[in-house]
Parts: sequence; C-alpha cells; structure tokens
Amino acid sequence: MYRFRGSLGVAFAAAMLAGCGGSDSPTAAQSTSTAHGTLAISPPLRIASADAATLQAQLGASASGAQLLKIAGAPSCGIDFYYIKFWTAGAVNEMTESSGALMVPTGAAPACSGPRPIVLYAHGTQFDKAFNIADPTAFNTTNGEGALIAAMFAAQGYIVVAPNYAGYDISTLGYHPFLNASQQSGEMIDALTAARAALPTTFAASTSDDGKLFISGYSEGGFVAMATQKALEAAGKPITAVAPMSGPYALEALFDAVITGNVNLGSTLFTPLVTTSYQRAYGNLYSATTDFYSATYATGIDTLMPSTLPVASLFQQGLLPQTALFDSTTPVVTVPGNPNLSAQLTALLAVPSNPANPLTPLFAAGFGTPYLINNSVRVNYTLDAALDPDGTAIGSAALAAAAPVYPLRLALYKNDMRNGSWAPNSPTLLCGGENDPTVFFAVDTGTMTAFWSTLPAGLVTMLDVDPIAGPAGPFAPIQAGFQTSQMQEFAFLQTAAGGGLSAAAAQQVLLQNYHGTSVPPFCSLAARTFFSQF
Amino acid sequence: MTKFALRALPIALLVLTGSIARADQIPNNTVRIGEYWVFYHVYADNLSGPFVPPGLNLSVKDVQTPYLAYLRRLSTHFTAELAFGIPPLTKTYGKGPATIGSVPYNGQYISSARWLAPSALIEYVFCDESHKLRPYIGVGLNYVVFYDRNSTAAGNAAAGGPTSISLPNSIGPAATVGVNYQISRNWSVMASYSASRVETRLEAHTAGVVRTSNISFGPQTLVIAAGFSF
Repeated sequence: MYRFRGSLGVAFAAAMLAGCGGSDSPTAAQSTSTAHGTLAISPPLRIASADAATLQAQLGASASGAQLLKIAGAPSCGIDFYYIKFWTAGAVNEMTESSGALMVPTGAAPACSGPRPIVLYAHGTQFDKAFNIADPTAFNTTNGEGALIAAMFAAQGYIVVAPNYAGYDISTLGYHPFLNASQQSGEMIDALTAARAALPTTFAASTSDDGKLFISGYSEGGFVAMATQKALEAAGKPITAVAPMSGPYALEALFDAVITGNVNLGSTLFTPLVTTSYQRAYGNLYSATTDFYSATYATGIDTLMPSTLPVASLFQQGLLPQTALFDSTTPVVTVPGNPNLSAQLTALLAVPSNPANPLTPLFAAGFGTPYLINNSVRVNYTLDAALDPDGTAIGSAALAAAAPVYPLRLALYKNDMRNGSWAPNSPTLLCGGENDPTVFFAVDTGTMTAFWSTLPAGLVTMLDVDPIAGPAGPFAPIQAGFQTSQMQEFAFLQTAAGGGLSAAAAQQVLLQNYHGTSVPPFCSLAARTFFSQF
Repeated sequence: MTKFALRALPIALLVLTGSIARADQIPNNTVRIGEYWVFYHVYADNLSGPFVPPGLNLSVKDVQTPYLAYLRRLSTHFTAELAFGIPPLTKTYGKGPATIGSVPYNGQYISSARWLAPSALIEYVFCDESHKLRPYIGVGLNYVVFYDRNSTAAGNAAAGGPTSISLPNSIGPAATVGVNYQISRNWSVMASYSASRVETRLEAHTAGVVRTSNISFGPQTLVIAAGFSF
C-alpha cells in the first residue's frame, strides 16, 4: 500500500513535469573545433550595449573621455560591445584560445547599420596579463585604448575587431609572442575570421561586413598592423587601406639604437617581452636566463611578462629595475687586432652624454646598478652590428646586408618589416610623432618611409603629428590640434590645478605621456580621416 | 535532549497507531482541490560575475495556481498532508538601474521557471471530530524542483546573449495554520496560510560566463480548497 502511494507520488510528479512541457533555455554553443580562426563560443557575449547618447554621456563623464570626444567627435552611432573567443596558435604553433573585441555600430542611421566596413585593430603593449580590450566597463581605468577605438571608429560606423593577443586574458599560452610578425599577423587574421563568423549571430544581425577592410594599430599594434598587411597581401587577400601608428617596424635598426645606449622609455618592461618571445620562438637567445639578464633579475624573468602584478609592484618588489636597462659600468670592447674598432665600440657603449640631444637625460637614466641586461649581450650584439650594419648606420634605409649571427639580432632581423624587401601594395598611412621617446619616429617610421621611397606616389604617406616646421599638408588640422593640446597641457601642468610643476618638470610629464597618451588619439583621427577616402 | 526524544518516540507511535486502529467510522483519506495564492518575499544578493554592473537585483511576481493535496488521518488530532500546487510559471523581473547601458532592466520580465514544490506536513488538529470547525497547525518540509527555466528576450538582452539558467533544487522547513470546516461526512472546505523557506543559487550562463545570485524566495501561501474524504 505504501509502495503504491509512493509510486503514485512519483507518477504525479512526472505527469506535472510532462504536462507543463517546456525545457530549459539554451545558451551559446561551444565549438568543438580548435582550428585557426574558429569562433569558440557562438554567439559571443555582448558585454554592453550603448546607444549614441548613452555612449556620449558615459565617455563624457570622465576627463579623459571628454578629451577623447573632443578629438573623435560626438558619436554618430551606438555600439554593441562583444567579447569574442577564438582559436589561434602561439609562436611554435601551440594552439590556444584567445579573445578580443568585436564592436558593432548600432542605430537607425544608414551609417550605423547594414553593410559596414571593418577596422581590424591591433592594440599597443600591455603589461597586465588580464588586459581585455573588449571590456567597456574598464574604459575609465585599464582599457583606455578600447575607449579610443570605440569612439574613433565604432561610434562612427566602423565594425571594429581587436584581439587581446595570445598570452593575455583567457589565453593559456605561458608567454606573449611579442613582435613576432608571423604569430601576431596570424592571430589578427584568426580574430578577423572569427569576428566575421560572429557577425550574423549578434543582436544586430543585419549589420554585415561590406567587404572593405581597414587595418590599424598603435605601437606594438602598429607593428602588428603592418605585419598583418604584409601577410594578407602575400596571401592575395584584399585590403582597402592600412594605417600603422607609432610602431617599431624597423626592429633591427631600433634595437641597434637601443643597445648602443639610446635607451627608450619603458625599455625595462619591453625587453623581457622581446627576449622571452624570441627565446620561445627560436630557442637560441640564451641557455640560461643569467646568460642574458643580471643575476639580480634573472630568476623567473622568463615567465614574468605580461604580469599579474601592476607595473609599480614589479618595480617595488625588485622584479624589474625602473629604468636601469644597462650596467652603468659600461664595457671595454676588445676586438683582437683592431684597436680603432675597439675604441669606437667602447665609446659607442658608454653612457650617453651628448648635451645637444634633448633625450640624453632619458638615455642616461637607462644605465644604473642593479641593471637588467648583461654587458656581454651589449658587446656581442654590437660586434654583430659593426660587422653587418643596418642601413641606418651607413646612410641607407636597408636592412643588414646578410642575416645577423648574434641570435637576438637575427630574431629582430627576421621580424623587421623590411625583411624580404617587402613593400605594400595597399594605400598606407604611417603616423607618429617625431619626439616619441619610446618608439623612435625617425628610426622606425622614417626608415620605412625612406625604404619605400621609390614606390608610386601616394601609396605610402608619412604623417608626423608633431612637425618641428609646423602644421602643413592635408593633415594640418590634426597636427595643429596635437601641438595645441601639448601646449595646453604644458601650461596646465604649471598651474595649481595641474600640480604647479616647473617648466622642466612639466616637460618631463609631457615626455612620459607622449607615446602612450598624447599621440594615439591624433594618429587615430588621422587614420580615420585617411580611411574615409575609400 | 536525545534521551527525551528516544523516550517520546514509542509513546507517540502508540498514540498514532492506536488512533488509526480505532478510526473505523471516520474516513482516513482526504483529497483536496483548491487554489493556491503564492506571495513571494524575495531577498537576493546583487548579481555578481563578469561584466556585471553594480546594483543588479531581482524580484519575483506573485502567482496563483491550483492546489492539490492528499491527507491521511493519523489520529483524532494528527494528520499527515502531502500538498502540491500545479507548478506555476514564476516570473522574475529585473530590479535595479533602469538600464544597463541602453538595455532596459528595472521592471523587465527577464526569466521564468516552473516550480514543482511538494510539501509534507504533520498537522495537529484542534478540537475533537465532533466539531465541524477545526483549526490546525502544522510543520514539515518543502521540497522545490525548478524546471522549465527560461531567460526571456529581455533577459537575454540584459545578459548579453542566449542564457541558460540553473536553479538547484531546494529543501526547507514549512509551517502552516489553517481551519477545516466539515460540511458532511465526506465533504469539507478549508483555508490555510503557510510559509516555507526556499533558498537556491541562481546561475545564469551566457556565452561562457556565469553570473550568480543567492536567492531566498520566502514564499507565503494562502490556500482555499474543498476536500473529499473516503
């Protein structure tokens, strides 16, 4: 009897469930494929949606956002911010899930819906392993570059695709393939493939790819944008136009300059990223980290960057020196049988002291104790450069005549954008600021412009947003805007509200902010202006 | 405490079995059919998880549903009740900011779930069986199975994509007070007011991210029903 009642109860419950019908709602599908460019989760997560008015209000709520709106203009479109996850490969073809942003313009205006052009964007170097350019909730804190591309491109009707890069965010790759042309261009193409697959699944499914592809990026991303252009053109894929900005394109020339004492701003953070990347890709930079780094910092440095710690903590905890890239006791070079060369190289590796160069104090700050890079690295690298010089050292823009022997220099040579004598066949704008203390404008943008000087007129355009001669040419309003903003900032920093700095201190602040904060919005505006012609 | 419980148990069993043995003329079984009004007193943590702005909470709309119950007379004063409601579609609404970005949130119907919520109660019935009107009180357990859990279009828009909802089953104490009016040997009407504890952890899964909230529904129910005894 009790058994019967129990069965009745179960049957009753089952009938209730069956009779009411229905089932739980589904969520996005996880792809089982890990092939290049596979969208890992479809549809992707929309992190946020903001119409044009909301976007303007949210960006305008912070001082930096308001300044950005002044440069980028008021949003014409709203934006749906998607977080895409996709499959790509590391430097030695290790498959890894990576992530990034897909920003889809929204709104009723014709420029905000239907077929729209795509901007494939590569961000600048981030030291925070958790960086996520797709996250609009961090626009006012850690994701200023996301805000920049949202305001500059997506809010003006461009679909924006921007990977976070392998080694960041959800990627399980234990390093970042920094300045690795083949890996980073491959990841950009994988992100683009995944984003194109995601577009029809979004809330704004009627917004589609109109077939125009623009590529841009800043700093590291400038290099990545150019590498992506190179890879796509080699594959015969159409590109509408490209605008790399402030990138280290001529890697061999740039590092020749740095190693010989032109220590760029931020070099103690960039160098572990470079060396770890190339060590993982080529395996021959060192046998032990102490071969390359001073004993003070060698332990664990090959897994340090990108970091889960804030940059300030890296310095405070003694994991990296703040500025001392090189030993203040510089090496005495001995080239057997060649005392003249020995003397020249010894002088070249000394602490910079040229009073005529306004960057000399910055360069000199790159020497100290404890230091990051061993003198032996500088000596061996410089010997290689002396025997097989980069063109910039001997009056041309050419890459070294032969492949370098020293492994670090060889890695830079392989990834230098001049390698293979490549030249673009898509319209290209190279933008930067000539006083850039981090990625030297003349060494990178100047070298590439000279290297391509024989190309048809108009194919490659160089834009210096900060010309000594003053604004001129089609981008003169942007140049004037940049220089005016620099003067206003300089004056503001000397007011009580700006901290009451001396003129010299204010100049130092401008220098500190030049590459990472001041130039990006103006070059991005130039890129958008350039793209709008097509 | 333990000794008291051990001594009390045989005595209670004697009372119950004795009562059942004597109850030749009074029907031991009753079924009830009526209506359930469920009033929720929700307390929920703000939603937490990736990309969730602060202050997002939930509210639940009260429901009404048919009530079914089976009662077994154990003795003059004790009755066991197994009660069900036809599983109601319980609707969840956004509570917090008017919008998330530009997506409406506050007051939006964002999700729903059906509840199969049987309650097992032991009730003490006052007065003897000669009285037509007999109040009672009861305590027991309430078990809730959530199913047919759906996110609405508004919920998907707020969450950022198609969303599946996980609500683990809940078990908690229940208490009731009521009154039964015996119209005839077989027919009666009753009304009761009950409260139970229903706590669960909501998980909303959207495109690989999980947002959570611990929810106490705090349902209180009013029942009006007719009973048939046999």
